[in-house]
Amino acid sequence: MTFLLVITYGLLFVYSLYFAAQSARLGRKPNEFMNAGMALPGWSVMFLLPAIAVAALGIERHLLLVNHYGLQASHVAVGLITVAVAAVLIWNRIWVATRVASFRTPGEAIGRYYDSIALRVIMLGLCVLFALPYSANILSETAQLVEQASDGTISRSMAVWIFAIALAIPAIIGGWRATILVLAMQALLLAVLLPGIMIFGEIVLGGDIFPTRPMPVADGIFWDRIPGVLQAYGGIGKNIPSGGIFTTIAISSTAISLVGIICSPATLYLGQTTKPGKAFGIGSVWLTGGLAAGLLLLVLPVIAARMPDGLASYADVLAEIVPLAGVAAVLLGVAGALLAVSFFVTGGTIILISELVYTYLFPGMAPAKQRFGARVGLGFAFFLLGLMAAFMPFTSAVFASVALPLALQLLPAIIGFGFMRWISRGAVLAGIVLGSLMVIFTEPLGLILFEGLFVDLPWGRWPLTIHSAGWGLALNLLIVLLSSVVTLIGPDRYQRDRFHNAMAAHPPASMSGGGLLWALAILWGFLAYGPGAVLGNFFFSDPIFTDLKAIMGVPSLWVWQLLFWLLGVVLVWWVAYSAGFGRTYASDLKPVRLGMPDAIRSPDWIASGLNRVVNRREGEDAKAEPNARLLRPELETKQPHVQPDRGKVK
Amino acid sequence: MGEHDITDKVERLNRHALVMAIWSPTIFVAAVLFHAGYLSQSDWWFAAAFAALIIAFCGHLIINVILQSGFTAGETALGGTLLAVSTLVFFVTMLVAPDDLVTRLQLPVGIGLGVLVTVVVVSMLISFGPRRAFEKFDIARSNNRRAASRLPHRGGRR
Repeated sequence: MTFLLVITYGLLFVYSLYFAAQSARLGRKPNEFMNAGMALPGWSVMFLLPAIAVAALGIERHLLLVNHYGLQASHVAVGLITVAVAAVLIWNRIWVATRVASFRTPGEAIGRYYDSIALRVIMLGLCVLFALPYSANILSETAQLVEQASDGTISRSMAVWIFAIALAIPAIIGGWRATILVLAMQALLLAVLLPGIMIFGEIVLGGDIFPTRPMPVADGIFWDRIPGVLQAYGGIGKNIPSGGIFTTIAISSTAISLVGIICSPATLYLGQTTKPGKAFGIGSVWLTGGLAAGLLLLVLPVIAARMPDGLASYADVLAEIVPLAGVAAVLLGVAGALLAVSFFVTGGTIILISELVYTYLFPGMAPAKQRFGARVGLGFAFFLLGLMAAFMPFTSAVFASVALPLALQLLPAIIGFGFMRWISRGAVLAGIVLGSLMVIFTEPLGLILFEGLFVDLPWGRWPLTIHSAGWGLALNLLIVLLSSVVTLIGPDRYQRDRFHNAMAAHPPASMSGGGLLWALAILWGFLAYGPGAVLGNFFFSDPIFTDLKAIMGVPSLWVWQLLFWLLGVVLVWWVAYSAGFGRTYASDLKPVRLGMPDAIRSPDWIASGLNRVVNRREGEDAKAEPNARLLRPELETKQPHVQPDRGKVK
Repeated sequence: MGEHDITDKVERLNRHALVMAIWSPTIFVAAVLFHAGYLSQSDWWFAAAFAALIIAFCGHLIINVILQSGFTAGETALGGTLLAVSTLVFFVTMLVAPDDLVTRLQLPVGIGLGVLVTVVVVSMLISFGPRRAFEKFDIARSNNRRAASRLPHRGGRR
């Protein structure tokens, strides 16, 4: 199988290289390397969205969780409906805002709207978090899978470097467009492989199919039901919850944490750089809410029931019958993971370079040099990725655990940006800071640091079975709401009003039946994965309205999941099509300018720092240019410079 | 997607990537199924493999309809070559392979290749109609290299 695996991955690499070369040969403007001319084809984005949503769960990780906990872990996949709703709402607004106010990156959009450098820095931090530890953790786990599948022929570190180099070269050559075009194909590959492997495995392996074959969980775990609404549980590492960790609160907070992937800078950037059209609607309703959620709920438990020892052992079993089928099973884990790695490293690096280097360090750089700089940056980023994945897997895993929950802390800021003009900068910043602290101290990062430096904390990871994202977002929203109440009429309100008025001129300008929609959405959430989901444990097997018992042959909870998946698709359809968020229009966009224009020279403190290490001559030239536009802080503080002899008549 | 301008280089690349994105996973699946058919001696795997290829072909047709484009010269040449080479390899295998292999492969692969050709012909009939579909292969009537022969009133159609 190892030889076939290498050949298959080699073909994938050749495919990437081909499209990278094709993109590079287009001969377009150099800055299109980084933003694809703000016109990524709609089909690529609509294929990629469900794959990104599934990447938030992680196919191999989710398979293992479902194998260990059964349908209670599988229930988290209902959260893809929430991801789809969030994607269509957030992408639509940031797409319109990008065209209205000429934003280049999500950091610039949020930062300019709230007039906050701190938010731009937070966005850059998230870029780094997703591009390095988060991606390195995924890469490290994937390399481990390849090592197991090849029986050690390809070692973990070798696989890490092969993957890092194979992902870096196409990204460096082709840029953002080539990366997305290739990843869209991989997304389709995943969509084909997931049901394909399930069907193939059930045919060739024989025996009972899930749920006739029960999930091989440990004693005391309820594989076919949810273990309550909430449990008095100290957290992972402190004690063991009875019946399993996935209570309804755990499911809902984990499902909401998946929205963090939509709030990640690279995903927002993907929405920004898409062509106008119906891609957001089709991608969110039919492909994410419909196909991806359906496959995870219907197909994944069937595969998980067959693989007590992980994906690699399942691939070995298939490979004994048909070697290429074993390769397909490994590819399911590898392609899904590498898709996320390539997306977050390329997107994060491009945003980082665009935001930090070209905005602050070298603002006047020529486009061709910018492209060269981006290529160097991508090479450096993939090198760091390889280093982290190969030599720091534990550190990567610890930092990766906070990536999604921390990205979710941007949600109030994004809601304020897109929908609620009364959310103020101070409220957003206070919410992010406190919410992030809450996340860090309910995840290994904070727990390890604090317990290593000081004393043991009374709680572990995810206390009360609530995901860290849930803890953080609850505190964050509380702070944002309370703070916004007292800053309703702040000095920066005028700018926010101006921006929202400009945005409101573009469809969807108003949502008829919005109240009913959100009421139904909350009701759906309560029953689908909120406290009401415990009703699904016995609702269809022991109906409460009769003494009779129904014999369906499948667990009641599975039917409940499928029912609310279908209802969820209707909900996303309503948001995307009926409310109109699923479509974007290019016409009639009246531009507005938000905040100060970008400086054409770097701030003095950065320039002087740079001059100390690079080119003193260039710094002197810059000083000699009195007409250079100033940054806003300088504009506010600096007095006009008047030459002593000016105006005197000789 | 109605605003697709196939003459633009970027749009051509986008369409090409979409076509490849449809074919690549399907070809991989078809390869797995062919492998399964070859090893397990079951004709149904071959049927599933050819069905996968036909689904990809239908996907390609749908792309053409949505983007208001047709098969490019490269796609036609590649498709024709692959089909011709596959058929040739099939016939050579039938002639030189051991009897048991011939017995196993002859029916499923032969019928599969035949169905592929039929699907292509039917799709052309549906897309172009009988006359224009036939004219696609009518080399004898379009071998006049003079530019004037392309004028409609001269009867040229190239």
